[in-house]
Amino acid sequence: MSRSDDEPDELQVWRVLSEAGLVEIRLDEFAERIRDVKRIVTGRLRDLLDFNNRVQERESAAYSLGTLKGLELKVMANAPKPDPPKI
Amino acid sequence: MMKSTAKQLRTAANWPPEEGQIISLKSSTASETAILREVRWGLVWRDFILEDGRVIPEHRISGCPQPQAWRKISDVTDQEREECEERLLSMAGAGMDPRKRDQSFWAELNQYLAYTYLRFKPAPSKVPYQDQDKE
Repeated sequence: MSRSDDEPDELQVWRVLSEAGLVEIRLDEFAERIRDVKRIVTGRLRDLLDFNNRVQERESAAYSLGTLKGLELKVMANAPKPDPPKI
Repeated sequence: MMKSTAKQLRTAANWPPEEGQIISLKSSTASETAILREVRWGLVWRDFILEDGRVIPEHRISGCPQPQAWRKISDVTDQEREECEERLLSMAGAGMDPRKRDQSFWAELNQYLAYTYLRFKPAPSKVPYQDQDKE
């Protein structure tokens, strides 16, 4: 990952999101991107468990994780069914 | 070079376009023009809502100044985030499909994932927590 300290914040945001595939998510990649973001939130939540004074941040991360899980399930359930194999 | 800088400044001063204006954009299928109904900030970037209800992210609108304006994660309030989460779950629960490009669920889910990623991603260039916070 290339990064320049002189890079303006706006360009950094664009680059970070582009590299994560999150600027315009391809239609067939929603479930995968949700899983990627879930992994990031889970990692942060795990870190936050070590801190007793970050209760609000922990709760908020847990809530976001719950939202992502709910969205993942629904998106997968609503996914178009593949065509049955022709016999 | 000077000409292009002057043009950029002029564009930035007149940006974003006003409601009711005809704008040029790259839609999912081609370049086209459409009537702008509303410009709305999402959790990370601005969305342009067209008269026909389609939602187009700002970077696909012709004449968008570069670099594009982004919202700081810290500018999003808890209430705003929670309302967005409720809307998304409600749209998903109603059976809406985010694979319908340029529709509200697609647009809002895109922004929510981008926002959540920026909010929780590890920051390698900074020390994320201070030792004194730790028990």
